[in-house]
Amino acid sequence: MTMADVIVIGGGPAGLSAATTAAAHGARVILVDEQAIPGGQLSKQIHKFFGSREHLAGTRGFAIGRRLLEDALAAGVDVRLGRAAYAAYPGTGGEFEVAVYGGDAATGGSRAARLRGRRLIVATGASENPLAFPGWTLPGVMGAGAVQTLVNVHRVRPGRRALMVGSGNVGLIVTYQLLQAGVDVAALVEAMPRIGGYLVHAGKVRRAGVPILLGQTVLEASGDGRVERAVVARLDERGQAVLGSERSFDVDTICLAVGLSPWLELLLILGVRTAYIPALGGHVPLHDRDLQTSVPGLYVAGDVAGVEEASVALEEGRLAGMAAAESLGRGDRVALARAKLEVAARLDGLRGGPFGAARREAKARQVNELSGAPPLSPAAAAGPESVPASRADGRAGIPGRPRPVAVIECYQQIPCNPCETACPRGAITIGSPITNLPKLDVDACTGCGLCLTACPGQAIFLVDRSGETATVTFPYEYLPAPEVGRRVTAVDAEGRPVGEAAVTSARMTRKTNRTWAVTVTVPHAYAGVVRGMLRPRR
Amino acid sequence: MGPEGSKPKTVICRCEDVTVEEIRKLIEKGYQTPDEIKRLSRCGMGQCQGRTCRNLVLQEIGAATGREGKDIPMSTFRPPTKPVKLGLYARARAEHEGGDDR
Ligand SMILES: Cc1cc2nc3c(=O)[nH]c(=O)nc-3n(C[C@H](O)[C@H](O)[C@H](O)COP(=O)(O)OP(=O)(O)OC[C@H]3O[C@@H](n4cnc5c(N)ncnc54)[C@H](O)[C@@H]3O)c2cc1C
Ligand code: SF4
Ligand code: SF4
Repeated sequence: MTMADVIVIGGGPAGLSAATTAAAHGARVILVDEQAIPGGQLSKQIHKFFGSREHLAGTRGFAIGRRLLEDALAAGVDVRLGRAAYAAYPGTGGEFEVAVYGGDAATGGSRAARLRGRRLIVATGASENPLAFPGWTLPGVMGAGAVQTLVNVHRVRPGRRALMVGSGNVGLIVTYQLLQAGVDVAALVEAMPRIGGYLVHAGKVRRAGVPILLGQTVLEASGDGRVERAVVARLDERGQAVLGSERSFDVDTICLAVGLSPWLELLLILGVRTAYIPALGGHVPLHDRDLQTSVPGLYVAGDVAGVEEASVALEEGRLAGMAAAESLGRGDRVALARAKLEVAARLDGLRGGPFGAARREAKARQVNELSGAPPLSPAAAAGPESVPASRADGRAGIPGRPRPVAVIECYQQIPCNPCETACPRGAITIGSPITNLPKLDVDACTGCGLCLTACPGQAIFLVDRSGETATVTFPYEYLPAPEVGRRVTAVDAEGRPVGEAAVTSARMTRKTNRTWAVTVTVPHAYAGVVRGMLRPRR
Repeated sequence: MGPEGSKPKTVICRCEDVTVEEIRKLIEKGYQTPDEIKRLSRCGMGQCQGRTCRNLVLQEIGAATGREGKDIPMSTFRPPTKPVKLGLYARARAEHEGGDDR
C-alpha cells in the first residue's frame, strides 16, 4: 500500500495548487482526479478568466488547468488522473485511507487501489443544483456543466435553440458560449428580480440580443420524446407563478444554471462538522484559518469549502498545502507563517466589493463556528447581493481629440484587474483592493487597444472622434471571422440594432488570444451608442 | 424558485423513479427527514447516490414544514460515493493488498 505525506482528492485549481504547494515544501504528495483531463471546472472553460494576473486572469480557463498540472508535475507531485476516490476512512494511526478506482485504457478493465496518507486534502469542488418541473426529465433539459462538456470539450452542439435558466455567472457565460457555438438562445430567465452574475458578463449576451427575463422561471417542458417547448411565467413576490403570464418558447434545449452545492460526500463519511450557509452554496464544512476541518489532519480547499471562484480556489489550495506541510514539520516555519498571512490578505481582497462581502462574512462565520466563537451577523446568511446597474450610457469619447481613447464600461466592484496590467502606459488604475473600479487617465491613454482584448468582461471600447466620422472599436469572439469592408448591423449595449456600419479594421494577433478588435465607422452621435455588431449569417 | 412551481408527476429521483407526489405524501405522513424519506421511497439510493435529488428533497421538506435549510438534518453518507463494480468489493482484499496501480 502506498503511504504518502499528503493525499489530495480533486485536480481542479484548488487541488492542484494544494498539491504543488505541499510538494514544494518537501511533502510527498499523491493527487487523484476522476477525470482524465486536469483542471476541474477550468478544463471546460474557453472564456478568458476574470481575476488578477497572479491568478492567471485573462488566460482562457482550459489553459490555466494545463499550466497548473505542469506546475504540479514539476514540483514532483504524483498525479493520477482517471482515478475516482469512492471512499475514505480514518486509519488506525491518525492517518487516512482513500480507496480509488478507475478505468484502465490499456486493458479495458478497471483498477482499484488503496492509498494511505498522513494528511488528506479534499478539493472535490461543487455539483450543480437541479430544478424540478414537469418535463424536466425529457432529453434536451441539461445542466450548464453538461452543455459545457458537449460544446467546449467535445464540440457538439446540444441543440438549435435554447432557453437558459439562471443569470449567475455560470448562466451568463454558458449563454455566451452557446451563442459562439451557433445555438440561438431564445431567452435567459432569472427567478430573482435582478441579474445574479457580473454585469460585464451580462453585457456580452445582451449585446448579442438575448433578452434577460427577470422575475420569471420555467414552469414546464414538453415535447414528443424530447424538449420541443418551454413554458415560462412571471413570479410574484412569494415566488408563485402569476396565472395568465405564461409564455411558450419553441426550444429544443433547456439549460439549467441554478447554482452549485459543495460536493461533501467524502467529508461527511469522515465525519466533519458542517454548517448551512446559503451564501457559500448550502451545507459547507467548518474549517479553521488553515482550512483544517473538525477532523484533525483533514483539510478542504476550493468550491468544496464554499462555492466561490477559481482565484479563491487557487489561494485556498496554497493555504491548505502550506498548512498540511507545516503540520508535518516540513518547510521553514517563519517563511510559512509569512506566506500564509499573504494568502489570507489576498483572499480578503478577492472577497471585497458588494459581491464578495457576503462571502467574506460567511467565511468568517465558518471559521468562528468551529472555534466556538459566536456567529457573526445574520447578513452573512443571505445570498450575495448584486448592485443595480449604474450605467453611464452614451459616454462618447472625446470630440476633437486627435486619437482614439479607451472607454471603460465596468461599473461593478468585481475582483478583476487584467485591464490595469495590460495597459503599457499605466493609464488604467485599479490598485488595491482588486475590487476597485478601473480609473482611466484619459491623457495617458494612446488608444492602443491592448486593454480592450485583455478585458475578460469585454467592457472596454475604443472611441475615436478625431475624424469626419467617428469610429468605435469593440471586442468580438464569434465566427464567421469579421471582414474588413463588410457592411454590418451595428448594435448598442443591449444588442438592439442601431443601423448599418462599415468594418474598417479587424485585428487579431497571438497576443489577443482569439479575440478580434473590430472597428466600425459611425456618425459622431452614435459613438457612445454602438458597442458591437450583429453576427453575419454564414 | 421553490418547489411550489413543480406540479405533481414531476420525477424527483430519476435513478429510482420517485415522483414529487410520493415525496409530498411521505412528508404529510410525518416523515420529515431526508433519511426517513430515503429509506421509505429509495429516493437517493440509486446509481447517483442522491446527487441530484438530495437538494430537491431538502427543498420539499422545507416548503412543507417551513423549516430552513439549516434546521433540516442531512442524510447519512456511506461508501461507495461513486458507482463501482460489485466485483471490486468481492475482490477487495486481493486487490488492495498488492493493488497499488498507476
Ligand atoms: C461556467 C463557469 C465559469 C466560471 N468562470 C470563472 C471565472 O471566469 N473566474 C473564476 O475565478 N472562476 C470561474 N468559475 C469558477 C471556477 O471554475 C471554480 O470556482 C473553480 O474551478 C473551483 O475549483 P476547485 O478546485 O475547488 O473545484 P473543481 O474545479 O470543481 O475541481 C474539482 C475536481 O475534483 C474532482 N473530483 C471530485 N470528486 C472526486 C472524487 N471522488 N475522486 C476524484 N476526483 C474527484 C473533479 O473531477 C474535479 O476535477 C467558473 C465556473 C463555471 C462553472
Ligand atoms: S487603449 Fe492602450 S493606452 Fe489606452 S488605456 Fe487601453 S491599453 Fe492603455
Ligand atoms: S474593465 Fe478591467 S476590471 Fe472591468 S471587467 Fe474589464 S478587465 Fe476586469
